[in-house]
Amino acid sequence: MKYMGFRKKGEDTPHIQLNESMNSFPEIPLNRRLYKNIDILKSAYKDCSDVVFRDFSIGSEINAVLLYIEGLSNIEEVDQHVLRPLIQLKSPENGPIFERAKKEISVSDIKEIYTIPDIFKQISIGNPIILIEKQTKGISVGLPKWEKRSIKEPDAESVIRGPREGFIETIRVNTSLLRRKIRHPLLKMKQINIGGYTETQVIVAYIEGLADNALVDEVTHRLKRIKIDGILESGYIEEMIQDCPFSPFPQLLNTERPDVAASCLLEGRIIILIDGTPITLIAPCTFASLLQAPEDYYNPFYISTFIRWLRYIFFFIALLAPSAYVAILTFHQEMLPTSLLLTIAENREQIPFPALVEAFMMEITFEALREAGVRLPKQVGAAVSIVGALVIGQAATAAGLVSPPMVMVVAITGIASFLMPRYATGISIRLLRFPIMILSGMLGLLGVMLGITTIVAHLCTIKSFGVPYLNSAAILKLSNLKDVLVRAPWWAMDTRPEFYSKDTTNLRREAENQRPSPSKGDGGS
Amino acid sequence: MCKIRAIKRTFTLFLLICLTSIVLTGCWDRTEINDLALILAAGMDKGKKNNIELSVLIFIPHPQQSGQGSEMSGGKSSGQSFVRSAEGETVADAMARLQEALTRKVFWGQNEVLLIGDKLAKKGISEQIDFWMRHSEPRIRADVFVSKGNAKTVLKTMPELEKDASKQLRKIVKTHIGVKVTVKDLLQMLSSESNAAVLPWVENLSPSQMDSKKAIPTINGAAIFKDGKMVGRLSDKETRGILWPRNEIKSGVFTISFKDETGYISLNLLRSHNELIPSIRNGKWSMHIKTNAELEVIQNTTKFNLFDPNVIKKAEQKVEYEIDQRERFVFTEVQRKLKADIFGFADEFEKNYPQIWKQKRDQWNEIFPEVAVSFETKVNIQRTGLADGKPKRGAER
Repeated sequence: MKYMGFRKKGEDTPHIQLNESMNSFPEIPLNRRLYKNIDILKSAYKDCSDVVFRDFSIGSEINAVLLYIEGLSNIEEVDQHVLRPLIQLKSPENGPIFERAKKEISVSDIKEIYTIPDIFKQISIGNPIILIEKQTKGISVGLPKWEKRSIKEPDAESVIRGPREGFIETIRVNTSLLRRKIRHPLLKMKQINIGGYTETQVIVAYIEGLADNALVDEVTHRLKRIKIDGILESGYIEEMIQDCPFSPFPQLLNTERPDVAASCLLEGRIIILIDGTPITLIAPCTFASLLQAPEDYYNPFYISTFIRWLRYIFFFIALLAPSAYVAILTFHQEMLPTSLLLTIAENREQIPFPALVEAFMMEITFEALREAGVRLPKQVGAAVSIVGALVIGQAATAAGLVSPPMVMVVAITGIASFLMPRYATGISIRLLRFPIMILSGMLGLLGVMLGITTIVAHLCTIKSFGVPYLNSAAILKLSNLKDVLVRAPWWAMDTRPEFYSKDTTNLRREAENQRPSPSKGDGGS
Repeated sequence: MCKIRAIKRTFTLFLLICLTSIVLTGCWDRTEINDLALILAAGMDKGKKNNIELSVLIFIPHPQQSGQGSEMSGGKSSGQSFVRSAEGETVADAMARLQEALTRKVFWGQNEVLLIGDKLAKKGISEQIDFWMRHSEPRIRADVFVSKGNAKTVLKTMPELEKDASKQLRKIVKTHIGVKVTVKDLLQMLSSESNAAVLPWVENLSPSQMDSKKAIPTINGAAIFKDGKMVGRLSDKETRGILWPRNEIKSGVFTISFKDETGYISLNLLRSHNELIPSIRNGKWSMHIKTNAELEVIQNTTKFNLFDPNVIKKAEQKVEYEIDQRERFVFTEVQRKLKADIFGFADEFEKNYPQIWKQKRDQWNEIFPEVAVSFETKVNIQRTGLADGKPKRGAER
């Protein structure tokens, strides 16, 4: 089955016709007659009001055409450094005109192009094209310029301590941000264009020697396999290259932060940058890395370890709190201390719903509120959260529909799910909460255990680009756990995590003996 | 095609699992809290004929909500719980009858107090205790008491400070001033070699100790059981004496005085350890009770300088004598008069002399009163407090 969008009706376009195959125009070479080329181009860009064809003559003798898309190129520069010198060129008949024209253009990035499809490509990147009469090649001038967002701190991944910059939608800016962090020629950036219409630039970045070559090949292979009409966000790619397409757990990390990307590169992982989105993908990904926040590595290791454990605890709370509450309240009342049970019984006395229904109602309301808060404009968002707090917290209990302990459980669950450093982790927990809740309502704690067992069994089967998801927990080696159970101080994290690379010879990331002490620090007095 | 089939297969499998789990289990033992009659305390009394009267204290869950009328809060202090009772041939039978008259399911899971009326206690409790162990719902960690008079009347009392009789008794027993016995302990005691048990004795607080005329249950001494029957009771002071050999003493204050000195020294018990050392020599059974105690001085009204090691030694000897006396006092009562081996002597003899024990086991009832008991008490005063060793009061005047 071919994508229908790529077929065009022959009679509308007499000069150029898209191939049946994806993503390519017939390789028509440039004609010696300028008007023939222009005819083809004009028919291709029929009804494209943003494409400009500017006729001019070099030294008022030789006809030429300047071709660009408005808004993509730096027109002022083109006028000054391309158009003016060419028009003012004296005695153009002397010598080969093409070489002379090239010399006159005072722009560093100049390419020669030979075919019509090349023109399409260059022009849509924002490079103006100059075609000259009687030449079978054109000049592409590297003067793209378009409006872009300034570099800001990403809202979804803000830190207190750490760099304040984030990726933006423009891929070249993003690569430059990475390059500024890792100034080494071994940082490689392979480019692949994906998307029949969008021709989206996708860049696979890795550090040669640190990243497994097989992994790099696998990633590029999977990316090249993608045949789609367009890539608008990294989510398109994520779903098309992950190992276990039906898993609720994220198998690629994503980040908006160049520092996170750089640290992953240094661990031997691979970054996939996609043009048009600030979200980059990181492969491979393990379960432990879902619970690591960038700030863990910037703050002192004691507090980082503490917060990491807090996160682990709250991971379980986010996943299990409502179901445990339901299970204990409907099946195992003897498990609670008497006074606590009596208080809960008092609070629940007037509630008309079973605990499971109550929990479901509250959780769904909470999810709805959260979604509303995200989707609404900022000005309205505040109002929604106030109304939500009142509805959930006050009104529902006052009306006797929901018991106060349930409100507390839902609130704690909500807080807990906000504690997850990666948004994607939070999503999978939020999703899994509901089936476990049903199980607990049916089977009590037995159901909860069933749910956990299923999830753990599933986690054991997932692999992310050949790396087992539960790697750090499965391979019990103390050195692998120093970034999982604790966050070891930087002088102790002297090796890279083993699991991202099969080559274990290059695991050292620090010289020996990096722990500071007075005799080492004072310069040998 | 193959993939689609695989997806279909997994999907049907998933559906199947979901469906079977619903059908198979069907939430069969699911009960909402709102459908439970939470039992806080239970009492067993001797009923008519040979019946058992089971009384239960059931919690009334008043909805607790902000912004509710004052009538609610007014009624709350009195009506937090109520007592229901039913008679039956066994406890289980009585429970079934009880359930007939209740709208909600009787829930034993939170029952923390088991009261036994003295009439039933004298008649024998072994058969009825079986229910509390065998049935899976009641807690075997519930505290057991014997009440003076009917257990039912004790359950009905409304203490001032605590919400109900259950909490009152549980909190009192937690202070470890008297014995604390759970259902499990009781069964262990009754099934042990000594076949004797001790339970805290509940009676109403004497009117002289409070300003109202309410009946408030409190613990006053202990009841002694032999062969599952109550044979006698000990006073509060005697009860404290039995705690030493049972290794259950947790706190206590000793006040000692000296012949050649006016004033007193009060000491607080920090920790103590007891050991029973049995011996059988020439057919003579004897038990050596070793006590190690550590104390601290909390008040000194004498002129003694407590920094002086000689004074401390003197005080230690005095306390040793005191503890000895307390233990001796209760031994004469329990060993000679009641003849109930509540100290677990039998188990100690069995452990140390298994061969002899096998032969003499049946005669234990006769042997026990004759066992020679000796005491060895060692006291160590750990701290004398921050205050000056010598009180200034006498010296300055």
